[in-house]
Amino acid sequence: MAFMPPAPVAEEHVSSAAGAAVAPGSRRRPIDRLRPWMLLAPALVVLAGLLLWPLIRVVLFSFQDYGLREIVSGEPNFIGVDNFVEILTSPTLWTVVLPNTVGFAILSVAGTVAFGTLVALLLQSLGTFWRTVVASAIMAAWAMPAVTGTYVWVWIFDADRGIFNQLLMQLGLMDQPYNWFTNRWSFYAIVLLNVIHHGFPFVAVTILAGLLGVPKETLEAASLDGAGAWRRFWSITFPQLNQVFAVVIILSTIWDFKVFAQVYLMPGGAGSNREVLNLGVWSYVESFGQNRYGFGSAIAVLLTLLLLAITVVYVRRLLKEDQL
Amino acid sequence: MTRPSIGRRLIKGVLVFLLLVFTLFPTYWMLVSAFDENPSGGAELVPRKVTLDHFVFVLTDGGFATYLRNSLVVAVVVVVFSGLLGLLASVAVARFRFTLRTQIVMMILVVQMVPLEALVIPLFVQVRDLQLLGTLLGLMIVYTALALPFGIWMLRGFVAAVPVELEEAAYIDGASWWRMFRSVLLPLVAPGLVATSVFAFITAWNEFIFAMTLLGGATENYTVSIGLRQFFGVHSNDWGSVMAASTIITIPVMIFFIIVQRRLSSGIVAGAVKG
Repeated sequence: MAFMPPAPVAEEHVSSAAGAAVAPGSRRRPIDRLRPWMLLAPALVVLAGLLLWPLIRVVLFSFQDYGLREIVSGEPNFIGVDNFVEILTSPTLWTVVLPNTVGFAILSVAGTVAFGTLVALLLQSLGTFWRTVVASAIMAAWAMPAVTGTYVWVWIFDADRGIFNQLLMQLGLMDQPYNWFTNRWSFYAIVLLNVIHHGFPFVAVTILAGLLGVPKETLEAASLDGAGAWRRFWSITFPQLNQVFAVVIILSTIWDFKVFAQVYLMPGGAGSNREVLNLGVWSYVESFGQNRYGFGSAIAVLLTLLLLAITVVYVRRLLKEDQL
Repeated sequence: MTRPSIGRRLIKGVLVFLLLVFTLFPTYWMLVSAFDENPSGGAELVPRKVTLDHFVFVLTDGGFATYLRNSLVVAVVVVVFSGLLGLLASVAVARFRFTLRTQIVMMILVVQMVPLEALVIPLFVQVRDLQLLGTLLGLMIVYTALALPFGIWMLRGFVAAVPVELEEAAYIDGASWWRMFRSVLLPLVAPGLVATSVFAFITAWNEFIFAMTLLGGATENYTVSIGLRQFFGVHSNDWGSVMAASTIITIPVMIFFIIVQRRLSSGIVAGAVKG
């Protein structure tokens, strides 16, 4: 990056012009009209070529029987909505994949937001020193990459030599090592632990920022009027942080619907144990494991539509609050 | 408010302790297993004998020196290009009013929600058509595109926070638009650029699906996140090496994160809440 050394900043100039930015204010030549487009052009080319065009293509693939032959020849092979019919009539979708995706997302969002909020409240009540210590520790959890984080959890719960099984056996709670990854429920319990551990720091830090903005006087007044901590939180803090909670919940929802590495890298998560498939992993293993790229694309389209619906809620919420 | 009683402070202390244990245990366990002579021999909370053998093995025979170099090259290229393109685009949407502006901002917002699983199939085909499968260049191009929307979104908030009056003052002093951009805007959004760069770096450093799909069997071009997989055997896993390699991958990210976390989180909130 070529940084300019910080130039002496021009003296602040009080302008009577409206706050809306029109630069350069008074002179309007054709170049000023073109300038935003010149600035945007490189980014738009990249976004169009590498995000929008692939999105269109994945929809096109989803209506085709697209396999290795089609990839090599580049010839289309349209079969209408057969892929979607196959997915929607597949028992795998209704008994395994959708519960694993939606049920998991609901539990992990609820868990992440509830835990993150409690941590934020705890942080708020601490003095500067301990708040810094705990906040730094939280950052360490946040910074752990999903891939290495997942491997560490796999190692902790490893069937033969993981510390969790060893601990249970030393305490006499278990005679034999148990393989936690073969059972669908314990498998997703570990994923849940992993995702909450990785996701709560964002919630805690964001909500703490909001909490610090709630006027102390209001809370003290309520306290004098005899409102307990529970009451104060729900009657004063929560309504004031309404927007922050909305953003945190929606972002967490979008992230938790998309968990991939956290499932894929677990033992059996890469398709060999079909009980633990979620939408993302199902799409991937059908495409790259079975070479059924059309079928995998159709699953990916369904996942995208699901996320798009959530995103629409997000954008509307923002639009209500402020102009973009 | 009233001074908290001793009982309350005790409860708070216990809660802080439990929180620290939960938060730090995976990192701690990773470090212990990486330094322990034989982590698979049985669980001990403190390493019995500290050794650097796993690190030496990982970096030499394990090939991690190469993977680290690959990841670093990819990440730096992604940081430079996504930062540059993102800054230009964010100035356009934060400082100019033009037709389709709202639509473009909306598109940048929506495109971030697209799951990688939906992009990986068409991009695999696209990269294959360009004959870039198994190369680092293919990864660089894809990662730049992935880091760009969030970069624009965050930088937009930082650019918007620079008072318009400063720009106008530069024009009054006779500066051209580019001169104003270089001498006024750029130094003032530099902190935002740093935060965005770190985000782009982490995106490229941690990414897994595309590295796995696009690099395939090209072991010499592996990045760190998929290089880890080779320590997993069919019957037994070399956990000491996995954890040593994980430590090498994680520590730079953690340091970066702690440096910029305040800006990063306030940037997300500013971009998301204030619009």
